[in-house]
Amino acid sequence: MSTEEHLAKEKPKKSQADLLYEAQVRSRRRFSLQVILSWIALLALLIFIFSGIEFSIGSFTVRTIDLDSDFIKENLAFIAGGAGQTILICVMSIILATFLALMAALGRLSKFAPIVALSSFYVSLIRGTPLYLQVFFFFLALPQLGIILPGLWAGVIALGLNYGAYMSEIFRAGLSSVGKGQREAAFALGMTSGQMMLRIVIPQALRFAIPPTGNEFIAMLKDSALVSATGFVHELMWRATKVGRAQFNNLEALIIAAVFYWIMTLIFSSLQSRLEAYMSRGER
Amino acid sequence: MKKLFTIVSLIVITALALSACGGGGTQAEDLLAQIMERGTLIVSTDPNYEPQSFLNTEGVRPADTKCASDQLTATEMQGFDVSVAVEIGNRLGVETCFATPSWDLITAGSWADKWDISVGSMTIKPSRQEVLYFTTPYYYYVAIAAALADSDLDSIDDLSGQAVCMGAATTYEDWANGVLDIPAEDIYYQPPANMTTVPLETDQECAQALAAGRTDFVAYVTAEPVVDSNIANGLPVKKIGEPLYLEKLAIAIDKSASLPTATLLEKLNEIVQAMHDDGTLSTLSLEWYGLDLTKAPGE
Repeated sequence: MSTEEHLAKEKPKKSQADLLYEAQVRSRRRFSLQVILSWIALLALLIFIFSGIEFSIGSFTVRTIDLDSDFIKENLAFIAGGAGQTILICVMSIILATFLALMAALGRLSKFAPIVALSSFYVSLIRGTPLYLQVFFFFLALPQLGIILPGLWAGVIALGLNYGAYMSEIFRAGLSSVGKGQREAAFALGMTSGQMMLRIVIPQALRFAIPPTGNEFIAMLKDSALVSATGFVHELMWRATKVGRAQFNNLEALIIAAVFYWIMTLIFSSLQSRLEAYMSRGER
Repeated sequence: MKKLFTIVSLIVITALALSACGGGGTQAEDLLAQIMERGTLIVSTDPNYEPQSFLNTEGVRPADTKCASDQLTATEMQGFDVSVAVEIGNRLGVETCFATPSWDLITAGSWADKWDISVGSMTIKPSRQEVLYFTTPYYYYVAIAAALADSDLDSIDDLSGQAVCMGAATTYEDWANGVLDIPAEDIYYQPPANMTTVPLETDQECAQALAAGRTDFVAYVTAEPVVDSNIANGLPVKKIGEPLYLEKLAIAIDKSASLPTATLLEKLNEIVQAMHDDGTLSTLSLEWYGLDLTKAPGE
């Protein structure tokens, strides 16, 4: 047997560092498996609480919440049909909110006093009043000006304006995160202030601002339920309350809606964490 | 920068000013003409109540409907009020579409032309007549109090000093507060002394809250057919005592509508009378309530 053959047969010996690394990976895997198993256990517990099962152990009786399963079967598809409307409202509102937030954030940094006043007035007014009230305001007040918006648009405007005010703070932080040196370099290259904003500052600020915007979108998914209060937007919450009330099964109807809100939130949260990972990779 | 912002703010201001001037530009001379021109009668009704008006969850929106996207079509709704509204639409020769605002927005008037009429079992009363026009009644029912079936309440006087639930902005709330302004001969019972009120969003929450074991109130006041429907749906409730007052239910039109409504009101009165005379209303009432509620008591 030659020396080469001998070497090939022998297992390559792992270094101490490799062994340590593998042990770490193993324990990390074990940990996330434990998290997943605990999740499943918690979910099973939650389902058990709503199972309607009742039993006694000795003198101790265990009671769970009893739901009308016939009602759920009959109305599940109808209530779920509102999910599309919910997502549509959120997508349109987030587009409006992003535009408004960018405008308000740029306005706050302006050197022209009325513009600074306009944007800080907007942010203060909207953040200082409840969203529920704003939804009714656009529904009831605008017709007096001759602007009669369909219920959906009144809702989108209210949600967009509200979230725009909150998101303007995120965008402002994003804009101020771009170093002064970047602006100075842009000027040194002979850019106008408009070019500097569009080509240098905003692209860098967006990278900072997009992940939190995803977060706002997820919050909005749930706040969109308020838009149904005027009765003209037939989204998830509206369908759930109307069907529940007419058939005296509010609890069942609301639980169906809750499940769909949760599923939507889970989906968008996972998209959001991917986006976040993608964005942070770009920063290197 | 400065220029950019000045331009943007100028655009915003002009857009606002323009949109404030626009709108309301219709050629029709009155509301009836506008309905005929549009080809749809927009009816508001609160889809919270079975059997008055509730959603038909299996209904499919017809592809050729003229109803706007935020209105429901006749196939997506059902109930007595819905059938009456559809029949009115048929007699006018137009499609009936349903707007679904919350009840307090309907009774408050100032509909901003978002819908034409209300066919929603609305009780005629003077304070509503300040903002709405009413047709002649299309049917009648009485208000009644109800409590849990196993409670020992069995007359209105037992409610003295107790908390009682009702829907907000309903005549039931007015009655309980002693401010119900319908003709005195229609009120059979005054609220007992020291009764407190718990107004919830609709009457339906009251019955469900009691059935679910809440103890914030002991009884609720609503229309007799609503209690019948509660019982039919298996809620453990019973009626207590005698009827409280008579509700004369009519179709309503907004007084603040931007177009004249006199001809529409006249036409609706004609249609309601014709539907009384040819038995259409009785047939619909028997279908949805199992009773003929279209005759005024003592008629």
